[in-house]
Amino acid sequence: MTTATQTAKTIASPSKSSEPVDPVYRQIRDLVYKVSGIYKSEEKLYLLVAGCERRIKQLAAKNPREYWDHLTAQPSRDGELRQLLNEITIGETCLFRSPPQLEALRKVILPEIVGEKTKQITKRLRIWSAGCSTGEESYTLAMNMLEESTLLLKGWTIEIAATDLNDHSVETAKAGIYGEYALRSTPDYFKRRYFLKVDEKKLQVQPEVKKLITFSRLNLQDDSRMLFMKGMDLIFCCNVLIYFDGPSKSKVINHYFTNLNFGGYFFLGTSESLLNLNDKFHLVHFPGAIAYWKPSLKSGQL
Amino acid sequence: MNSTVATAVNARIRERVRSIETLPTIPTVFLPLLDLLNLPPDKVKLDEVVKLVSYDNTIAAQCLRVASSPLFGLAKAPDNIKLAVISLGLRRVQTILLTCCMGNAFPVKNWALDANVFWKHSLGCAMVCQKFSEKLGAADSEKAYMAGLLHDIGFLVNCMVFPKEFATAVSEAAKQHIPLYDAERAVMGFTHCESGRALAESWNLRDDMVKAIAHHHDPERSETACPLVALVHLSDLLCRMRALGYGYYERQKVDLAADPAWAVLLKEYRSLAGVDLVRFTFELDEAVEGISGLVSTIFGGAAGKNSREGVSF
Repeated sequence: MTTATQTAKTIASPSKSSEPVDPVYRQIRDLVYKVSGIYKSEEKLYLLVAGCERRIKQLAAKNPREYWDHLTAQPSRDGELRQLLNEITIGETCLFRSPPQLEALRKVILPEIVGEKTKQITKRLRIWSAGCSTGEESYTLAMNMLEESTLLLKGWTIEIAATDLNDHSVETAKAGIYGEYALRSTPDYFKRRYFLKVDEKKLQVQPEVKKLITFSRLNLQDDSRMLFMKGMDLIFCCNVLIYFDGPSKSKVINHYFTNLNFGGYFFLGTSESLLNLNDKFHLVHFPGAIAYWKPSLKSGQL
Repeated sequence: MNSTVATAVNARIRERVRSIETLPTIPTVFLPLLDLLNLPPDKVKLDEVVKLVSYDNTIAAQCLRVASSPLFGLAKAPDNIKLAVISLGLRRVQTILLTCCMGNAFPVKNWALDANVFWKHSLGCAMVCQKFSEKLGAADSEKAYMAGLLHDIGFLVNCMVFPKEFATAVSEAAKQHIPLYDAERAVMGFTHCESGRALAESWNLRDDMVKAIAHHHDPERSETACPLVALVHLSDLLCRMRALGYGYYERQKVDLAADPAWAVLLKEYRSLAGVDLVRFTFELDEAVEGISGLVSTIFGGAAGKNSREGVSF
């Protein structure tokens, strides 16, 4: 699940076309949503089409309709869906991937959490970037928290646990070196403030940012390890659960619920849904962002 | 606000609203149309609707342009009113006509609120109300559309009747990132719900529309906890969280399923429990572009561009 950024550059970006889309692609869109929770909206449908077309070519399928059979009939079904998910989430990872999510975090959620914890002696904020891939999300969170460390989070300890299944990704993440593609959405201010120049095309995250994060390898399906990830205020798990089947997904989400503090929040990717796998989390909306909330004890909504 | 104060405030607003000469007059075909909308569908005659639509040339032309928007799901734009009515259905054409009437009743000049933002929110809310009620299997989704379209007309009254105070409220709301009605209450002592009600009553709108206008921010206060009001309330909140708000950042967390309005709606429609709100939200996002196009078609003169994207909402 971490090959996305490596292959992204090698693939020519497909462009929107005004031609009507074969209706079977909307069927595929619905199937992908039902199985993975990833929703490719109309304006991103061309990405789904391009992904399918690459698979159609590789499988030498005659047309989209025949590809639909690959996606729905045994024995190819599960493997093919996984392949397609890989295709359509390619190149999605970058720093500052979802500004509305960060805005909700800093403008609404942090003030709420700080307010609720105001009476606690140790002022500590714990964040888990689960399935951190090559570290883009983890560093984005760290930089934004550092921005708040002189304001809302003054005097607070910030800890970010970043985990991934893939050793290679974890090593890449630790290095914190990014090229133009990964930095395409990063505001100049952050580039100047939190990065060092490696060469003409690459920037490296400064030690000050790295200090906040502990990178490690973790399998989300390893129940005993999952039990140790307690006391989280925020959990981010972007485009990772899409590869899990229903029961394993439910299990991981239950772990997340348990691992969160009361009043904590769980974030998925921007076009990803938890489907109906957990009824303890409250779905909450912020301007432009969605999160899952574990109600605080005093709200009486558990 | 206690009830004596509320009554006094309402009387004051009604007084101001009545005394103002610039108050928008209700478009000629508006009431007959609303009456038709309240009839059982089999009692509405094709010719009657065609006649109403054709009453005003400008509006008729606008209706045709709007009818060709992908949001209404036609593959080919109808070239005359009768064809539009046949292909879109009577009810749909009625709501399109009402939408156009609204645009003409409130010409844009010196609005405290960005007209484009306002219409995008109103039209967005209308669409969301309609889709929401379709998902619930409610009997009359066109009525839900109307309620969504009209719910904020109080803002227009405020723009015209209380321009200074309202402008202050708008800028305070944006500065403090708070809901507009909180700022209205703080600055003016009343909100667009009260002034909207005054206009709705002077227009003799039917009771359910008046309630949706008066109580969409406090649906639990509506005398009989009315599902239509609850629907408008929830749709309004959702729009404000998804690029169809008042044009500034509202520092808000919205938990729709924990809202009292949700319980009201659930009581009437058990199917609400099965609605996939996340997917609904994604679908709403898809419609934003189309809604913007529609707003420039209807409210921004002939310059409107219709995009063919975003067909599915």
